[in-house]
Amino acid sequence: MKKKENFNAGNFKADRIGSYFKAEWGVLAAVTISGLIYNLGLLAGPWFEGLMTGCLVDILGGRKGFYDMLTLVLAYVIATGIVQASRYIKRFYVRRFANNVNRRMKQVLYGSLVRKSRQEINEEGVGNVMTKAILDVDDCAEGMRKFTTEVFDTGVALLAYMGMLLWYDWRLAIISLLFPPVSYVAAEKMKVVVQRTGVAYKKQSGVLSDATLDRASNAITYRVFGCEEERREDYENKLSAYEKAAVKANIWNTMMTPLYRVISMVGVIFIIYFGGKNVLGDGWKLWDIAAFTTFLSCFTKLSVKSSKAAKLFNAVHKAQVSWKRIKPLMKSESTEADREADNGTRINRVGELEVDNLGFGYPNVPDNEKIFEGISFKAEKGQIIGVTGPVACGKSTLGKTFLCEYPYDGSIRVDGRELAQLDAKDRAGLVGYLGHDTELFADTIRNNILLGDNSDVDVLLREVCFDGEVADMENGADTMVGTGGVRLSGGQAQRLALARTICHKKPIMVLDDPFSALDKNTEKQVYDNLRSRSGETIVFLISHRLYMFPNMDKVIWLEKGRAEIGTHAELMSRVPEYARLYNDQKGGSADEA
Amino acid sequence: MKLNTNENKNENKKSGYVGGIILHTAAGYGFLSAGIVIAVVGAVVLALLPPLILGDIVDMLTTGKNLPLHMVILYFAMLALTGIMESARERLLTVFGQKITHAVRSRLMEKLIKLPADELNHQEPGNLVSRFVGDVDTVENLFTSGIISMFADACKIISILVVIWVKNMGLAMVLLLLLPVLFLFTRYVQKNMLASQLENRKAVGRASGHVPETLHNIRTIHCLMKERYMEEKYDGYIGQSYRAMEKTNFYDAIYSPVILILNAVVVAVVMLLSASGNTSVLTFFGMSAGTAVAVINYISEIFSPVESLGMEIQTIQSALAGIKRINEFLALPEKKETERAYSAGTDRKNNLPVVELKDVTFGYDEHVVLDNVSFAVNKGEQATLSGRTGAGKSTIFKLLLGLYEPQGGSVLINGIPSVSIRNGERRHLFGYVEQSFHMVPGTVKDQITLFDESISDDEVRAAAALTGLDETIMKLENGYDTMCTPELFSQGQWQLLSIARAAAAEPELLLLDEITANLDAETEKTVLQALKRVSKDRTVLSISHRTMAETGRIIPIQSNK
Repeated sequence: MKKKENFNAGNFKADRIGSYFKAEWGVLAAVTISGLIYNLGLLAGPWFEGLMTGCLVDILGGRKGFYDMLTLVLAYVIATGIVQASRYIKRFYVRRFANNVNRRMKQVLYGSLVRKSRQEINEEGVGNVMTKAILDVDDCAEGMRKFTTEVFDTGVALLAYMGMLLWYDWRLAIISLLFPPVSYVAAEKMKVVVQRTGVAYKKQSGVLSDATLDRASNAITYRVFGCEEERREDYENKLSAYEKAAVKANIWNTMMTPLYRVISMVGVIFIIYFGGKNVLGDGWKLWDIAAFTTFLSCFTKLSVKSSKAAKLFNAVHKAQVSWKRIKPLMKSESTEADREADNGTRINRVGELEVDNLGFGYPNVPDNEKIFEGISFKAEKGQIIGVTGPVACGKSTLGKTFLCEYPYDGSIRVDGRELAQLDAKDRAGLVGYLGHDTELFADTIRNNILLGDNSDVDVLLREVCFDGEVADMENGADTMVGTGGVRLSGGQAQRLALARTICHKKPIMVLDDPFSALDKNTEKQVYDNLRSRSGETIVFLISHRLYMFPNMDKVIWLEKGRAEIGTHAELMSRVPEYARLYNDQKGGSADEA
Repeated sequence: MKLNTNENKNENKKSGYVGGIILHTAAGYGFLSAGIVIAVVGAVVLALLPPLILGDIVDMLTTGKNLPLHMVILYFAMLALTGIMESARERLLTVFGQKITHAVRSRLMEKLIKLPADELNHQEPGNLVSRFVGDVDTVENLFTSGIISMFADACKIISILVVIWVKNMGLAMVLLLLLPVLFLFTRYVQKNMLASQLENRKAVGRASGHVPETLHNIRTIHCLMKERYMEEKYDGYIGQSYRAMEKTNFYDAIYSPVILILNAVVVAVVMLLSASGNTSVLTFFGMSAGTAVAVINYISEIFSPVESLGMEIQTIQSALAGIKRINEFLALPEKKETERAYSAGTDRKNNLPVVELKDVTFGYDEHVVLDNVSFAVNKGEQATLSGRTGAGKSTIFKLLLGLYEPQGGSVLINGIPSVSIRNGERRHLFGYVEQSFHMVPGTVKDQITLFDESISDDEVRAAAALTGLDETIMKLENGYDTMCTPELFSQGQWQLLSIARAAAAEPELLLLDEITANLDAETEKTVLQALKRVSKDRTVLSISHRTMAETGRIIPIQSNK
């Protein structure tokens, strides 16, 4: 990431728009020079066309010869060539500038997004805000590009054209130049309508997509419940609303552009009338026919340009709005935080875990209701602890408590240190977690396990009994798993996630129902492998299937916010619900395929 | 929409495809279609006039004649009229394009309803959405920026050529030679641009998919301390799109300069030849100053339609691909329409078993799943289908729900073939609890009613109370009107909600498909007992792998292997 170091090293301030321009000064210099040449050079076109027409008149009148025309024509072609070459340079570099800015902004935003906590992302809506901000970057960079382009294309060019018009006949120039601003003002007035209808259209289009996705993904459910006809009517209504919004939004966009051009072209009436008088010798100035055509074509080009001026202001306005939204989020904190993390020595071992009077309730629940309370136990390395209980008893919550996403009551001490008081990086080095959701990435099996580290994927796959199936896949461990692992079955995804967790082994591992989709034999095998590997770790295994529980060092039974803790044998005799559940499953196991 | 009426059904099959829909819509909005034709032709013809008038004006000036005011006004009026015509064309096309997309989408939705269950299962939701949204949008583009503007541009090129032919035959010949070359060059550039744009879009897709993925997997990322890895990956994706974009930028930046230089060369050649003084050249290239002005005007006007022509071909190509995909979808086989939809309420025969399978044989493709299966479940009975994985238990449910038709024998609900039951009555007849809950976008209440307004709020609460969820729901911020997010309930609670959904319309028959997968035995028993308690005549048929969940009579299903 050479580029990245670069911009962090200087006094680059991610929340200053000027910084982005400054960082790209080389590219911008190329843009400036070529932009000036191009736009001033644009005058050459009409000027030469005028001269050529004049020359033709002279030749027809016998006052000039073929070679006069030849020189003129050659000069014209060469001038056009130079001007257009500058145009090429300008366009290419303006876009490169926009690309660089876009990439930088996204790097900064993503860097801070990926370091946000889960609560910030899910509950405070930071996730949504950041996602939108990343989309805003496109608008913002596009606006900066248009701004840079149009400073030359519209700004410089308009001034040059105006100067030329004024030089030929200032009175006529002023009269004819009255009209393009009128068209601009009209466009400005219409902008409000365009924006309003545009927003409404976007909204309807979102509604329609959502409805389509719902209809497609829940098709069977709707059919089974006989709701298809009613859903179709609902969809039809959404289609009508969408049609209305789309027509409104697009009509203003497409219909008005030709009309603005008509308004700004009103000036030609005066140009032809008074310009004609100039040529005939009874006007404000004395013109030849060349001056007449140059003036006219200059004006035409000017009015086309000025109809684009409205677009320029729109783009800049949009960029401003986007920038305002993303500015507060632009903080390039990422690298310092990482560097610090790499230097410090981290705890990566555990001897003893002591949980004392642990309780937990979500912060925003009325009456401060607790999900569980008063849990105390000790564990040491090498132990596997089973956690179970009826549905919604809080067993998953108990597992998540170790992540310290919310404050807990009581204490969790790792070799005497309170877990909640460690900093986030220390904690991440200490606690590994695998939840219900396998959280796989849309990447290969190999990358999903390694996530950039080095390890032997085959060994890991064997350990979770996934090696055979992976070998049968078309690209083996390099097979893509699809978004969120959709191309894998539930059991495959679970084993892959487990392999990943084992690959990034932590002293304390919380595994929430990692075997729910596995058959009994595989479950046992994976469990045995886990056991043989867990000499230095403490494993919490949360499950509602109890086959493996007799082999565990300790069992926590959670019910109605209270915990019963002991060995399997102790709980069998002490907790009748546990015993019944265990025996039920044991009986049922014979029936399972 | 008029298109949904019955007359449509009677027309031959072809008219159901996109082409047919377009024709039908065009015919249905006669004035609109006629308006478009007038505006398109009008804009082309009117655009030809201003340069001609200008040429006359210049000629008058060179000969020293005074300009009549009406000429000046006429020049501007023609410019203005052209603008107005173009504006009208855009307006009408927008409306028409939207009418078409509306009609196509309606038709797609009708088709979705007619698909057999098997086909529905095969359709990936993401794919379907891109068919409904993306592909249909390309059809709209076909009109707004495809066929019609292509026609207009072609007319423009031809008419300018004709005028130039009359004014300066030599130039017309030069252009005739030049235009095909120019066109090929345009296509070359556009094809390359399209290729790198596609590449870019893919990379952009990967990069933008990376963000929600990060949000979703944030716990794992933090836990495994992979922030830096994720950043580098993201930057890698952006880098890919950046490189693709650089290529697009190159072609984009090179095209216009080349065209404009060419434009200048043509003007130069014409000027040079008309100044040559050679009489045989002059018969082709000779012209007055006024004509020269008009011709320069025309030349720059003939280049822009060539450029748009290239774009339009591209639009049409992608639209055709879109249409092809839509037509493929519309051509999918439909489920068989049963001759007559029975009402389970009025057509029912008394004293028959609620569920009855008689010698049912069924299989997917070649593989026979059920071979001569027969059993019956009487009113108020609780029964469990039991058998090994793959024995066809879930398949029996699908047959009962009318999703499939048996290949042999009959599947009867209250004595009526299950596929013939009227749609509107299904909900009151059976409640189906799937293995996993399918959340629909909406409130908690919507999850239970599935937007069926005939289910009252009291019934909703009653159904939730049955499953023991009422209390939990009332504790939510907006109670039953809380918008649902996947994080709102635990897995077990979602399953309970799924039961509430099935029970809300007070169905006679409950079908529970392996609901133990996500529930512990304790909760499952509570739920089944609650269901049983409330309605004595409710029949319950469930599937379970586990013996402990079996209640009532056990019906063994033999796997056919």
